[in-house]
Amino acid sequence: MADQDPSIKDILAQARSADGGAGATPAADDTRDAVESAETGELPAAEKSAAPVGGEKVNPSSMSVADMLAVARGESAATGSEDNSPEESGEADETIAANTGEAPVAKVDRSSMSVADMLASAQDDGAAPAPKEKSPAKAKTVPKATPAVAAEADTPVGPRETASVLAAARTGTQRGPRSFGEAVEADETPAKPAKPKLEVPPAPRKSDFLPQKQEKADVVAPDRRGFFAMTTKVFLGTPLAVAFTSMGLTSLLWTLGFTRFMFPNVLTEPPTKFKVGFPAGYSPGQVEAKYKAQFGVWVIRWEYEGESQIYALKSVCTHLGCTPNWLEGEQKFKCPCHGSGFYKNGMHFEGPAPRPLERYAIRVADDGQLEVDKSRKFMEEVGQWTDPNSYVSV
Amino acid sequence: MHGHLTYDEFLASISGFLCSYYLAVAVMNGLFAVYQWKVNGNQRLAVVWSVVGLVCVIMGGIVSSGDAGMISYVSVPDSIKNMIDAAMMPVTYSLGTLAILFALFITREYWVKPNMAWLGLNLMLIFMGLSIADVDFAAIVMKPDNVPIVGLIFLLAFFTWLATYKAVENDRRIAQGELPLEAIDNEKVLVWPDLVYTELICMVGLTAFLLLWAIVLQAPLEEPASSVKTPNPSKAPWYFLGLQEMLVYYDPWMAGVMLPNMVVAGLMAIPYIDFNKKGNGYYTINERKFAYLTFQFGFLVLWITLIVMGTFLRGPNWNFFGFYETWDAHKVQAMNNVDLSQLFWVDLLHQPLPRPDPADPFLIKTLIIFKREVIGILGLIGYFAILPPLLAMKEKRLFQPLYRRMGLIRYMVMANLFLWMATLPIKMLARWTMDMKYFISIPEYFINF
Repeated sequence: MADQDPSIKDILAQARSADGGAGATPAADDTRDAVESAETGELPAAEKSAAPVGGEKVNPSSMSVADMLAVARGESAATGSEDNSPEESGEADETIAANTGEAPVAKVDRSSMSVADMLASAQDDGAAPAPKEKSPAKAKTVPKATPAVAAEADTPVGPRETASVLAAARTGTQRGPRSFGEAVEADETPAKPAKPKLEVPPAPRKSDFLPQKQEKADVVAPDRRGFFAMTTKVFLGTPLAVAFTSMGLTSLLWTLGFTRFMFPNVLTEPPTKFKVGFPAGYSPGQVEAKYKAQFGVWVIRWEYEGESQIYALKSVCTHLGCTPNWLEGEQKFKCPCHGSGFYKNGMHFEGPAPRPLERYAIRVADDGQLEVDKSRKFMEEVGQWTDPNSYVSV
Repeated sequence: MHGHLTYDEFLASISGFLCSYYLAVAVMNGLFAVYQWKVNGNQRLAVVWSVVGLVCVIMGGIVSSGDAGMISYVSVPDSIKNMIDAAMMPVTYSLGTLAILFALFITREYWVKPNMAWLGLNLMLIFMGLSIADVDFAAIVMKPDNVPIVGLIFLLAFFTWLATYKAVENDRRIAQGELPLEAIDNEKVLVWPDLVYTELICMVGLTAFLLLWAIVLQAPLEEPASSVKTPNPSKAPWYFLGLQEMLVYYDPWMAGVMLPNMVVAGLMAIPYIDFNKKGNGYYTINERKFAYLTFQFGFLVLWITLIVMGTFLRGPNWNFFGFYETWDAHKVQAMNNVDLSQLFWVDLLHQPLPRPDPADPFLIKTLIIFKREVIGILGLIGYFAILPPLLAMKEKRLFQPLYRRMGLIRYMVMANLFLWMATLPIKMLARWTMDMKYFISIPEYFINF
């Protein structure tokens, strides 16, 4: 057994036999192996998580919780009985049995059990006469204590870790387990141990105080009171349903009210079309700023590309939307926010404004007055100022 | 604010405040003199600061007379005012601030000494006092909106001094092989009661201060808002004035959306970019010079000085005004800005600007626009893609160690964030000196850079 490639269970079993017999003789290089193997990621859990205990405590921090649990599972699996535990642990159990003189009692492979299952089966075990030290519940809840308990039932010592067990396994006569590094050096990579067979434990018996399913099925009778009653039950059946129903109705009313709000009875906004006087009323070069306060528009008679025109400029800066002021003395529009400046024809020339001012549509109405239409805009940078709707020639 | 008052009436209205101001400065100096004498045992310095306090008392006395002839002795002479106003332009202001801050950085070991810092504080306060006798200066500084900014300048100066003082001390200790002060005095402090009590006291004190402020200073309310009338000048809240100043040089998408988001993203990226483990938990400058200088440039130069500029130096029509200049809404400043494409095609190649015909299909239009803006686009690509590797070349001393430590991706992220930050001063200088409007100007698609 010991000369073949040792599985975890074998190693542990050897360790226990050694412990029970001659006692631990930890070797210094074993601790180094333990640290090494903790760093390599491809080793069996037990060997990987080896950390010494015996006399020398070296680097226990290299053992992660997962490793510890794995060790604990391995231990508890090793203490399982022959018929249910995996093959390789069978011999180990025999060794244990020989050493401790106690027959294992566990019925199932606990390495594959959840905590709940363990507890459930622990209850069952508790009913059967079993040695107290072997209680799987204890093994699961106090995993560190398990190896010691399992190995030396009569003389319990403090929590033993697998590393010390491994160290103890290396006696003078036995080669003992090797770390991964050693195995590579010796060109015999240890074969991966077969995975323990996953066995579904029997469903835990239901306690008497839990409600029984069959009885419940008898109580609930199918509802045959029709659609209306069904709807009432869904929407008003419980206080929660009432709350959600009323919340949904309120939201619906709010939405409807908000939608109605979007269509007011009276619009107080200025109309988008308005008259700005007769063309003859504008002298050349005039900037009429009196419509700005109400309509946000300057009406200007000036030249664009050599042609004398009347046009309506939107009084919104093309930089960030402030309202520029017409400065008569400087003959320019000047924005107070970031200092953009525009010529009388609307072209931008100073400050950050990237585009000229925009024009509104303008035409001569039937009564001969100029009419500005704010619903249409004309932008110079895309060549829309040549559109005859954007100006009135004079 | 005081436009409707005559100069004598203005002086009469201000003399009481100014007198108490000088007396407060005098008391401060007196207390500091006592501190120097009793605590530090330095009698010579005590005498010096007592004399300064005495001078302040005399100035307070002169000011309290309210007489124009007398007050002219304790105000900035007109010739100096005119000189300052004439020199005050965006370029001189910005570069001057930068130069002063850099000089302070270089000489930090001298001016962080408590007496030198106290001298600096006195100079600032006396400069304020002398200037407030000027109508225009007083109108800006004493406007209720602007009082917090005055406070901000002093608070910022104090905290910058405090941090630099501690950093200089730690740097000295580290140079001598000692531990920084914070590493020695790292006693554990509990949240309750230490922190919570401090917070409670601060809360009560701050509430009292705000109440007092609200009672003493009038709320700066204005006329009802109108969508067709914008106040002139129209100023953002003080904390956004740096942003407003940025908007003067950039398209709204750039300065209002892109750059602020770059600032936030860049600040979030700092932990991933920063490889320097030093300076963690203690003040130091020498151990993280690049980080310190970059941050202080971005904060003090590109944010605080812009707030100060926007508050005190930007007047009607967002024109630039000196400290002592009247805010004239009709001040004419020549700012005939041109785009880079205009400079390239018209001024350099003497060709008309390529202009897409509105009837052209989309692809042709785009190609013509691309041709028009080719210089700016190539420049932008070069700036962000080619400049960082050039900076990391062997000859350049500053960036190559950073590249070695950071690796390609982190270095490119860092360099690009750095270059993004640098676009603002570059653009400002280009605007001021070359009347550069946009490097890339595509108004057709609202893309301007």
